[in-house]
Amino acid sequence: MKTRTLLWFVAPSVALMLVFIALPLASVFWQSFFVTRTLFQEVTVESCQPGFLTQTCTTELRSQPILRDGKPVTERVFVGWENYRLVMRPDALVAAFSPGGGGWADVRQIDFWRALRFTLTFTLVTLPLVIGLGLVIALALNTAIASLRGPIIFVSLLPFIITPVVGALSIRWLFIGDGILTAALRWLTGENVIMFAQGWTIEVLLLTYRVWHVAPFAFIVFYAALQTVNQDTLESAVVDGASRFERLRYVILPHLAPFMVFVALIHLMDAYRVFDEIVGFSAQAHHISLQWLTYSLLMPDGSGSRAIGRASASSMLTMIGIVALLIPLLVRTWRDHHQKG
Amino acid sequence: MADVSLRGVTKRWSSFVAVDDVTLSIADREFVVFLGPSGCGKTTTMRMIAGLEDPTAGEIRIGPRVVNDLEPKDRDVAMVFQNYGLYPNLSVYENIRFPLKVRKVDKASHDRRVRRAADLVELGPLLDRRPRELSGGQRQRVALARAIVREPEIFLMDEPLSNLDAKLRVSTRAHLKNLHHELKVTTIYVTHDQVEAMTLADRIVVMNKGRIQQVGTPTDIYDDPSNTFVAGFIGSPAMNLMQGEIAGGVFTGAAVRIAGLTTRATGPVTLGFRCEDAAVAAPDGAEIAAPIYSVELLGDATMVTVRAGGALATVRTTKTFRAEIGDPVGFAVRPETCFLFDRQTGERIR
Repeated sequence: MKTRTLLWFVAPSVALMLVFIALPLASVFWQSFFVTRTLFQEVTVESCQPGFLTQTCTTELRSQPILRDGKPVTERVFVGWENYRLVMRPDALVAAFSPGGGGWADVRQIDFWRALRFTLTFTLVTLPLVIGLGLVIALALNTAIASLRGPIIFVSLLPFIITPVVGALSIRWLFIGDGILTAALRWLTGENVIMFAQGWTIEVLLLTYRVWHVAPFAFIVFYAALQTVNQDTLESAVVDGASRFERLRYVILPHLAPFMVFVALIHLMDAYRVFDEIVGFSAQAHHISLQWLTYSLLMPDGSGSRAIGRASASSMLTMIGIVALLIPLLVRTWRDHHQKG
Repeated sequence: MADVSLRGVTKRWSSFVAVDDVTLSIADREFVVFLGPSGCGKTTTMRMIAGLEDPTAGEIRIGPRVVNDLEPKDRDVAMVFQNYGLYPNLSVYENIRFPLKVRKVDKASHDRRVRRAADLVELGPLLDRRPRELSGGQRQRVALARAIVREPEIFLMDEPLSNLDAKLRVSTRAHLKNLHHELKVTTIYVTHDQVEAMTLADRIVVMNKGRIQQVGTPTDIYDDPSNTFVAGFIGSPAMNLMQGEIAGGVFTGAAVRIAGLTTRATGPVTLGFRCEDAAVAAPDGAEIAAPIYSVELLGDATMVTVRAGGALATVRTTKTFRAEIGDPVGFAVRPETCFLFDRQTGERIR
């Protein structure tokens, strides 16, 4: 295809990506350097109390929002990297590791670092589990008899079909608080059973839930890829004397490698933006993610104002984190592609 | 080194019979070619010898051992596949070494054996490359080296030249012939290309619809076909086969009359002769006389085709022959070069 024709073909999607992705991204980046403040004015208020002979009046200076048409007047101020500083709190980080500081315990008090710790753990622990479980199911299904494959595929895909929030809620109703299983256990044992009440148990639950939810995606990709394994190569290995494990190692896994990179890319992008599980399991008391941090900053506070600047900074930091995680995989893909080309 | 024998080997997939009661003995160091059209069961037979398919019935022996229940790796065979079956992520060297590695052969001997196998197929300078960096012919040579390196008792080759272009096929064919001469290993080779079969084989096994049609040397198969399938499959062009009646040693059919046939058969038969065994002659008095259907100039010869005995009959003549389509022409056919076949069963009438 001529380059010019190709450009015409991709032009609409490029235009849409510019309008709906690049522009909002640039806008968020721009907004992360501003703070929106409500303007206050000093007013002298005289309040008088009725007395026996004369009334007693006091005057005081009060600060109150400037109103225009009944709404507070705001201003946007350029603050440079201040929002990033407020989110990341480098001063508190340095203090935590200075002599007399509380170390990690102090760092965990800072929302951003707490969210980053959880998000990274969530992403990096679920990644190998999702790929491993997906692979095991795909390999098992590939050796199952043909008539069983349809039903197994359907059942395996169910967790992926269910909306994350609904899935999380159903698990919550099973285990947490007065959940069905918890209540049943209480009734059976007569003990006061409380499941998933500690931070680490909730964390394990969140991780397990994500693996359960996403493994079907990995499985279906790997299962499709397994259908394209070169049968001649596989049979060569059989005749050459390779064991089942050696065939997996030398024929199947190398064939699946690009598909694993694909699943890893998708999963990294998705898991780093973990949000649904926090909401579904109401886990925010124990764990928050970067995406949840951005969301909570965007929620109006008591006075109705929202920290758009800090939320923008937080979402930019989330994006930078995703890109940093993706770089090794993208480099690998590019190198493979380059070698083949 | 080993001989191979198949006794009543059958492969069925529900009602479909892929290989039907095949009995065959292959001598030690023999080069046997399974030849037949697509779906004739030749590859399935080879795969059963390799252990990649289980026979539904029958017995397969390699040397003194019945191998029906042995895993492919325990049969001491090496196989070369049509699509090479190389490991794309391993270098040429590692591809060739693979069977030694997975069979836990003494590591000290690996390098010597890999290099010897690579030298035999002239791959020496390419050992560090990946399969994707090689041409089709080079890839097939890697597959050959991988088969050679283990020094198996039997080589199995499943249409190894089919993916190569015509020129490369000729040179690789010669290479294979030479390798067999050097290594003297029993070889079973599957192909649908009769030229490969004729040039490579000590013996050819012609198969059709899961059954063996004829087993013999290339000369036997060409000069003494046992039925119309073999006669019509071997040779380029294949044997001319025409329908007619025979009585008193005289065959008559549409536009054909051949007298002097030494047979006592009577009734409807199929008569066959090879294109090079007849000559173009004047229509008057010729055994076959008909208008020309087509004239094909091959460079070194001319193929003249007429319609006779309910089929097309072709004769090879000199390169200088010139005639137009529709011109009357005669074919002089000597009765001693003719073959007679039963019209119903297709079997040779001797």
